[in-house]
Amino acid sequence: MIATVLKLIARRLLAAIPILLVVSALLFCVLRLLPVDPAAMSLPPTATIEEIDAKRREMGLDRPLPQQYLIWLTDALHGDFGRSIQFGREAGSMVWATLPVTIELAGAAMALAAILGVGGGLLLFHVRGTLFEPVADLLSILLLSIPEFLWGLILLFIFGVVLHLLPFTGQVAPGLPLPHITGFLLLDSLLIGRFDVFLSACQHLILPAFALGLAFSPTIMRVLRSSLFDVYHEDYIQQARLRGLSEGRILLGHALKNAALPTLTLAGVQFGILFSGTLLVEVIYSYPGMGNLMVDAVRNADLPLLQTIGLTYCIVVLVINTVVDSLYVVLNPKLRVR
Amino acid sequence: MVFKLQRRSFLQLALGTAATVGTSARIASAAANDAVTIGWPNDVPSWDPNQRFTPDAQPVFKAVFDQPLDQDQHLKLIPHLIKSWNLAADGLSMAVELRDDVTFHNGDKMTTEDFRYTFFERIKSGIKLDTANSWKKVQDIVIESPTKATMKFDSPAPTAPQWMAFLGSYIVPKKYIESQGLDNFLKNPVGTGPYKLAEYELNSRIVLERNDKYWGPKAKIGRVTIQIIKDPSARVAAIQSGQVDCTLNVPVREVERFNKEAGFAAEINPITRVILLNVRADLAFADKNVRLAAHHAIDKTALSKAFYGGAAVPLSVLATPGTPGYLTDFSFKYDPELAKQLLAKSNFSPANPVKIGLAATNGQFPSDYDIARAIVQMWKQVGIDADLQVIEYAKYFELNRGGKLPEATLYSWDNATGDPEIFSGYQLNPKMPFSPWKDEDIGQKVLGLFSVADYDKRIAGYRDLERYAVENGATMPLLQSVLTIVRKRNLKYTKYDNGWLLPQTLQWT
Repeated sequence: MIATVLKLIARRLLAAIPILLVVSALLFCVLRLLPVDPAAMSLPPTATIEEIDAKRREMGLDRPLPQQYLIWLTDALHGDFGRSIQFGREAGSMVWATLPVTIELAGAAMALAAILGVGGGLLLFHVRGTLFEPVADLLSILLLSIPEFLWGLILLFIFGVVLHLLPFTGQVAPGLPLPHITGFLLLDSLLIGRFDVFLSACQHLILPAFALGLAFSPTIMRVLRSSLFDVYHEDYIQQARLRGLSEGRILLGHALKNAALPTLTLAGVQFGILFSGTLLVEVIYSYPGMGNLMVDAVRNADLPLLQTIGLTYCIVVLVINTVVDSLYVVLNPKLRVR
Repeated sequence: MVFKLQRRSFLQLALGTAATVGTSARIASAAANDAVTIGWPNDVPSWDPNQRFTPDAQPVFKAVFDQPLDQDQHLKLIPHLIKSWNLAADGLSMAVELRDDVTFHNGDKMTTEDFRYTFFERIKSGIKLDTANSWKKVQDIVIESPTKATMKFDSPAPTAPQWMAFLGSYIVPKKYIESQGLDNFLKNPVGTGPYKLAEYELNSRIVLERNDKYWGPKAKIGRVTIQIIKDPSARVAAIQSGQVDCTLNVPVREVERFNKEAGFAAEINPITRVILLNVRADLAFADKNVRLAAHHAIDKTALSKAFYGGAAVPLSVLATPGTPGYLTDFSFKYDPELAKQLLAKSNFSPANPVKIGLAATNGQFPSDYDIARAIVQMWKQVGIDADLQVIEYAKYFELNRGGKLPEATLYSWDNATGDPEIFSGYQLNPKMPFSPWKDEDIGQKVLGLFSVADYDKRIAGYRDLERYAVENGATMPLLQSVLTIVRKRNLKYTKYDNGWLLPQTLQWT
């Protein structure tokens, strides 16, 4: 099994090279075609038109687009993604510093979405054919129709403003330190032995993670329920019943395992969408992740930063897909035979 | 047995958690009188204060660094690190005398070496700094003693004193940067300001601790946490829930609501920022009648009432009340009938409207798009049919450079100094990238004023220019912009005419 997984990862890595090249070229072209002037943006407002023109030449913006791309690509392959126009810092290091924050948030949100999605899916399946089915259906559709940023505002209002139960700005309470070891705050707080920081970080993570998780859980619920419906038409379910197994054991011990595979595929796709959904949620909750940084980059037409963030999103999605496919191989014996 | 162990572990964990929370709460409570948390809309671009001109970051920089000169609440230039200054009559040099009792946070004494390094050596060394542009006229800084120096300019620099208290002009430590390197300086910035930077997290928070060895008045509050909250609704929620003690730039309607709530105080403060229509001198606006009609048709008082609770002062010139360039004896009146008459002279009417374009940002400053929509309606009443298009602020300069802006563009311009050069001088200078108005007549007048060293003569020149520009339809000033502040009622601050909310002026009562 390990050999199959390793082969799959190797194949994916090879396939990732042309994908990344195409995506980076597309990103580069699209960003350069925007009617923004990086030269003017990189100079103070007092700069004259002549100074802006000189800056444009210095930045190589007067050269043909393919030549500009080749220069960028060569630098990128050497780890130099350019300097942020707005912050004046290396774009790569800025993204690297904010990426763990977003991964932590997206990971927590995905875990919540999975728990709520699987729990909800089982509940939806359980109430099939009863009077509760239309109500449960309606609720799941209602959940499905609320986007993550709206969840963000609703949760912030209820639990932050009205009930005063949870904090909603930043990663930890003012006065507590932010350790920097791995970049993953929950882990770092434990590594330095600060349980108070860990607790505060958890409290600050709850609302944004729920805002993202709640938006994505209904899809998992509904796909799981559909998969369970399909699985329950299989012969082995009838055989299990004939063997006298309880409905609970049939559901959890047999049907769920098989219904989980399409749900896992969906969860992989959803994680990519969820990751990009962090953008607005991070802004609402002042969470210092990559989404928040991207908002700054867009606002300031910070092309080097936008390019680096865009490419990072692409890499994250490729990694997620590889992980999901590997899990698929682990969970599905048929794939291992091939 | 297993259950008992798990239960015991659980109880230990729960009690530990409760104790930690309780302790944290007590610490927070004990520190409350000497600490404040501010909800701030934007992060600083960098901890090199010379690097990037970002108006919103200036109050944060002013907490950690000092400027050679400062401004009082009403923007009058006052001594700061510089005790005295003397701009030569020809504007080609400026002698300065620094205080001799100032030390950087690391204990190094601040001298004219640091002054020369900040305003000359760093700039000439090729480091990418925005101050390289504002101080490009500096030819040399001659050091006469540790406290005395003379700046030499290659051409007249009449606004050099104003720029000493403006964007990016903060003295940085030469010895520290040269010995530690720029990267270390950016990680551990050292200034001479009333606060030291204790902690910084990009796009999250800035923690400042009082500099107890500060040469000037000590800050009243020991620890200031600046929480970066970019979303206006989240800032409202943060102050409402008590997660911050003070915040700014909240929607105007929230100010009225907070004023009715016990424990809060909220203000709408007019500031030195103007909202205007930048116009072209060609296309349909080549016709002066059309330009003037467009201006006469705008009811600025109605715009102020509708979008700024009436607090934004309607403007007739490109200057705000109380600043040197403001004209109290000149008013460009709202007169839709006159607008119709002017349009009729050019054969336009509501039945046969003149077609123009209006560009506006959406969300760049409060109610920008709504103001633009209201103007379109006002214009429609008199016979101007405007096609409204939304542009990104970042695209403004590119569109202007390529001559692609429409006849009018809604724009906002900030000038913390209040000096008319930085209002109408920059806005109407054809060599600068702000205004789409490209006209020899006004262009020559503006460029001439950039070299006038005599203060009174310069101000008089700008006052004439402002009237002339508006009467000729070269610009359409609309409103003085406002800054909204919501705070806990027992938190006081010093109000500045330019909208600065300085952490060192905060105090609990």
